[in-house]
Amino acid sequence: MPLLHYLRLIDIMARMGLRADATRFFLGYIWWILEPLLWVGIFYFVFVTIMGTRGPDFLMFLATGKLVFVWFSKSVTQASNSIIAAKGLVGKINVPKTLFPMAVVQEGVYRQAAVFVMLGIILIINGYTATATWWYLVPLMIVNYVVIVACAFVGACLVCLARDFAQIISLGMIFLMFTSGVFFDVRALDPEKTKLVLDLNPIAFLLDAYRQIMMYSTAPDMLHLLMIGLGFGVLLCAMVLFMRRRSQYLALRALSA
Amino acid sequence: MSENKHIVLELTEVSLSYHSARKTFDRGRHHVLKDVSMQLYDGETLGIIGRNGVGKTTLLQLIAGILAPTRGQVKMHSGKCASLLTLGLGFKPDLSGRDNALLSAMLQGSTRQQAISFLNDIKEFSELGDSFTEPVKNYSAGMRSRLAFTTALMTHVDVLLIDEILSVGDAHFRGKALAAMQSRITGEQTVVFVSHMADQVEKMCDRVIWLEDGHIVAEGDPGEVTSAYAESVARMNNDNVAK
Repeated sequence: MPLLHYLRLIDIMARMGLRADATRFFLGYIWWILEPLLWVGIFYFVFVTIMGTRGPDFLMFLATGKLVFVWFSKSVTQASNSIIAAKGLVGKINVPKTLFPMAVVQEGVYRQAAVFVMLGIILIINGYTATATWWYLVPLMIVNYVVIVACAFVGACLVCLARDFAQIISLGMIFLMFTSGVFFDVRALDPEKTKLVLDLNPIAFLLDAYRQIMMYSTAPDMLHLLMIGLGFGVLLCAMVLFMRRRSQYLALRALSA
Repeated sequence: MSENKHIVLELTEVSLSYHSARKTFDRGRHHVLKDVSMQLYDGETLGIIGRNGVGKTTLLQLIAGILAPTRGQVKMHSGKCASLLTLGLGFKPDLSGRDNALLSAMLQGSTRQQAISFLNDIKEFSELGDSFTEPVKNYSAGMRSRLAFTTALMTHVDVLLIDEILSVGDAHFRGKALAAMQSRITGEQTVVFVSHMADQVEKMCDRVIWLEDGHIVAEGDPGEVTSAYAESVARMNNDNVAK
């Protein structure tokens, strides 16, 4: 399949997925904005109204962490099931198997674009300023995207091999949410532990980098970011090769189990 | 006549088996096809006949390159492509018939512009009218299969693989579908046609293969093979009645 046609298909499948999603709900596309707003509302209710110990800074801290984390977790979880979900298609036509996770990831990209705009507005309303440091968001988002695609491919292949991985992946996402500093500040740990978490968990590093940029106008560790980008970039390429070579095997697994 | 023609596709001792998640037969190993060898000649219409679950669809999926054999070889003449024409190319029920048709056409290799240019023909042939822009989840089973058949009809390939497609819609649409199919088949198009209905196969095919339990039982003249198949089905029914 020519690359241009492949990219067009991803775009069209993603947009149709979004349209199908929107027709299912009474509020349609409004959910794109409403969902992140409700998240922030829930955090406000729990952490400011009920617990009362934390100020609006903590609210923004949570919102940034959670809304970025959801991009990763939702995309990867949905993409993991995408080949199996397209079983009807997989049995009838020999298309690249990367198409299905890619379409799901692309859906997430369109949705997240709206979320990031919302997040920026909420931050600015709460007194944070968009400085030139915010340009660091561009390489950060690109690396974040590469991480998502690589994990989406791995997840999609694993779930083809055995459905059980779908369970493990959704549990793994909860584990990641608690260990990536969505609800706590990794920098408030012992300096040694902070370094350990940031070195071992790329998601924790990415979340922290978003906060450093958007809340504290501090540039992230670009070398660290580059290493994550390269590491997951290599994984992504390896997965594309694997899924090309073993396309028929993946089809058989998707159809037979 | 077939012998003088070029071979487009050759299967040599092809077997396909797989492990299922639960260990049921043969330690969980399913044997779908066993040592199947066959040739397909340029321009012919080959029928594959057999009861449900004997491996007909799997055989088509091997020919279309969707699956790879566990053992043996599937050799397609270079530069040729085969496409499987089946009902309902994974419709998304929340999308309109139009969007689904567009997506199907693009998945089968049409560009966006080509796909858009097909849409009017699809709307007309399928006789869906205003329902064409309604979500597919509101369609009746007949409307769904009319959309599926019409979308599938748009594919242009060297080898056309047809899977149990001519049982669609009401009598009026079935007649129309059959005529459209026949006009493709009588031309230069190479076709592999799968069915469990002996009379359809006998009418449309130049040569017939009878598949039973994953291997070829008989191969040759449509009249002879289909009548042998029909006899075996009748015998089986009689045995069941006797029991």
